[in-house]
Amino acid sequence: MMTAEKLRFDPVRALEERTAAVDAQVVSAWQSRLAPDVPAGAALLAVGGYGRRQLFPYSDIDLLVLFSSDKSAVAQKEQISAFLQQLWDGGLRVSQSVRTPQECAELHDGNIELSISLLDQRYLAGDAAVYGALMEKLPRFVHGHRDVLVRHLSQMTRERHARFNGTYHHLEPNIKEAPGGLRDLQLVSWLAQIAGTGPKAFSAPVHVPELEDARRFLFAVRGYLHEQARRDSNVLTFDGQEWLAERMALEEAAVMREYFRSARAVHRLALAALETEEARASSLFAQFRDRRARVSNADFTVARERVYFRSPHQLEAEPELLIRLIQFVARHGMRLSLEAEQKMAPQLPAVRSYFGTPRSLWPALNEALSLPHAPLALRMAYETGALTALFPELERIDCLVIRDFFHRYTVDEHTLVAMQTLADLRNEHTAPASSFAGLFAEIAHPGTLMFALLFHDVGKGNPMEGHVDASLRLVEGAMERVQMPPAERATVRFLIRHHLAMSATMTGRDPFDPATARDLAAVAGTVENLQLLTLVTYADISAVNPTVMTPWRAQQLWQVYLLTYNELTRELESERIEQAGSPEESAFLEGFPKRYLRTHTEADIALHMRLEQESRARGVAVDLEKSGSIYRLTLVTADRPFLFAAIAGTLSSFGMNILKAEAFANRRGTVLDTFSFADPLRTLELNPSESDRLRLTVERAVLGKADVTQLLRSRPRVSPPSRKARIEPAVQFDDTASQSATLIQVVAEDRPGLLYDIASTMSARGASIDVVLIDTEAHKAIDVFYVTAGRRKLDAVRQEDLRQALVAVLRA
Amino acid sequence: MKKIEAIIQPFKLEPVKEALKNIGIDGMTITEVRGHGRQKGHKEVYRGQEYNVDLLPKMKIELVVTDARLNETVKTLTEAARTGKIGDGKVFVYDVAEAIRIRNDDRGEAAL
Repeated sequence: MMTAEKLRFDPVRALEERTAAVDAQVVSAWQSRLAPDVPAGAALLAVGGYGRRQLFPYSDIDLLVLFSSDKSAVAQKEQISAFLQQLWDGGLRVSQSVRTPQECAELHDGNIELSISLLDQRYLAGDAAVYGALMEKLPRFVHGHRDVLVRHLSQMTRERHARFNGTYHHLEPNIKEAPGGLRDLQLVSWLAQIAGTGPKAFSAPVHVPELEDARRFLFAVRGYLHEQARRDSNVLTFDGQEWLAERMALEEAAVMREYFRSARAVHRLALAALETEEARASSLFAQFRDRRARVSNADFTVARERVYFRSPHQLEAEPELLIRLIQFVARHGMRLSLEAEQKMAPQLPAVRSYFGTPRSLWPALNEALSLPHAPLALRMAYETGALTALFPELERIDCLVIRDFFHRYTVDEHTLVAMQTLADLRNEHTAPASSFAGLFAEIAHPGTLMFALLFHDVGKGNPMEGHVDASLRLVEGAMERVQMPPAERATVRFLIRHHLAMSATMTGRDPFDPATARDLAAVAGTVENLQLLTLVTYADISAVNPTVMTPWRAQQLWQVYLLTYNELTRELESERIEQAGSPEESAFLEGFPKRYLRTHTEADIALHMRLEQESRARGVAVDLEKSGSIYRLTLVTADRPFLFAAIAGTLSSFGMNILKAEAFANRRGTVLDTFSFADPLRTLELNPSESDRLRLTVERAVLGKADVTQLLRSRPRVSPPSRKARIEPAVQFDDTASQSATLIQVVAEDRPGLLYDIASTMSARGASIDVVLIDTEAHKAIDVFYVTAGRRKLDAVRQEDLRQALVAVLRA
Repeated sequence: MKKIEAIIQPFKLEPVKEALKNIGIDGMTITEVRGHGRQKGHKEVYRGQEYNVDLLPKMKIELVVTDARLNETVKTLTEAARTGKIGDGKVFVYDVAEAIRIRNDDRGEAAL
């Protein structure tokens, strides 16, 4: 935190000294101009910032002249004018009002600011009895009208925040008016003062100890700004930042980092105080909010839309409660209560030390990161310090400023905004954002994507190292501590390493040069990686500032995605493995698409080779494994007609829902088929023997010993979705995608047995399936087949015949 | 004085800016635009659906130079923006009647 030494003076004391000097000047003028003529019935009060003894250089001097009655006020008009003129001549900018105690204790609809300014009133000179009359009425007035005052303050604050888009992140902030500025600091104090005032006792100004550092910093900056501009100027311009940095002997970025830290602290507390008081001022609203209390569970309760710990001290004994808290907020989208935040703070060191040791946290964390309000949960955890207790790596980017004209946010805020951008895609229904929304809906592991975004810029805190390299180095420790599985780690590394690749392509490469898509396809490797990278790029660019992701830029990104996507699906057929490792490996791998090597780990390849060994004796080898809620069936056998259809049909007959499938053939005619499927009826989970029966039935179907058509007759029937939701089937042929095969893309409503119907239609018409890539997106199946007939592309007649047959099957 | 308006490929913006800077021209206005000339746009097939990309993203650069610098500026700009393929864009040159610097009311070439 900023120390008084760095500020080179004590701003609070400096303001008090200036106030005292002005007091002397004002009181002397009062005595010389008014005291001889108005011995009784009039008093002089300081109000506003001056009343609070926070008089900044070149700020207005707010005065209230209090008369016992209107009559005496009118009678003294000339003396008052002379008094004010003397102050102006003495170089003070005076802003005055003249009232009676009675007027001060009434609500004036058009001037509630007067009532608020009285909270800071301070007696300066004159008739103490008149002041006494005011102080007798004031507590009762404030207490009696507290709801109106709170509502008014609330409305003023919301309007003021809206003028600054509700954020404290501005490159050239107004340190007084913007969210997190001095007005918000004052708001916290006023709200506490209104709440603390009883019918007979007026509450003294309230200081909030948590905001003391922020207060001193903001005071110092405002003091400097006024001195520099020689007027009441509160915008911290780039020039002002430079000037201030010199005065404080700091880097400009360091000054702004301190500013954002202060603004964040003030903004957070101001909002919390405002919401608490608003709820109190509106009981109906509070009742409505309490209806959400029913989501309370064993760990947390919910009241007035805020989350509370059931046992606040449990966190120290059981730090994993923090992960459950993140999950809870991510699921329900409710913020943590101020009380819970305060109770959590002292327990964070214990939490931090607990999470310093590797623990199996990834399943729970992954679930939290996949939930709809994950960005809100992470923001809550970050702002309370809990997220840095979990991932201390993030401390490096805390309020870190990137000094250029494009980055509106600090690095930590950029990270949180990027994640929020992705979550907001769920509600995007208009182009071009809806295209990215479609991609996001398809992502199998949104948690991994969010984790990568959380760490993508964490290396920016290390200026000596390239930020990508530093982020990669730092994320390793975090992944190890949460014990992330190897496949997810590889995805996170990939996304961080290449998170700038697509934006670099957008701005620096000709999208229509075939090399552009080829290069990017080589970076991405798989369609899945490309989709993730596109989403990271979309979020990363959008989070630079609120206006940067124009439809123009979104279209550019989409175009790059599209060209690369088509390149990746094209190369499935044309890019084949020519040589691989040992002679044994070569014999197995040669002829597979290169995609195979990119999408499988060494352990996968070893398993496939083992299956190939087994299949030699028995004609077929099948492996079935479960990962999370998804099953994967891998099969190796010699190629034969109807093979793919037989497996797809068998799985459907067991009620399995096929999500993804791949079929590759090597040069020797050995086929490797992989099917990922869900088990919606939990047949395999509840009946362990069914797994063996499934494996055996697949083997029998492949070897022609079981009749798939017969099996399918027993499959459970499901009703089709409503007419409105139906997807019009589309079948497209492309002869240019590959040198030796015809590409067929099928988009259709997904349904049980769909894949079997498509594959068997193809096989029945003599089309041999070379490569298959099956994907489902909600109800939509998107299938890509590379097929040949007699080792050649399909001719036009055969294409038309097959197209008609497929459309007929898809419409059936 | 002449106003130069150039529609170029977005990925050529940086090379064009750099080339103009090298001949001492820093001031310009840049707008993200969409359109097509002879390049027409094209069709993309994505997952069995056809996408018409008829208006392509382009960058518009506008700058005003003295008559004496016109040829040099246009030559530098076109060379930097050229790939030789359809879609490289176009340059338009207009006469400028007057230029005024708002800050101090400078007029004519002095305002450039």
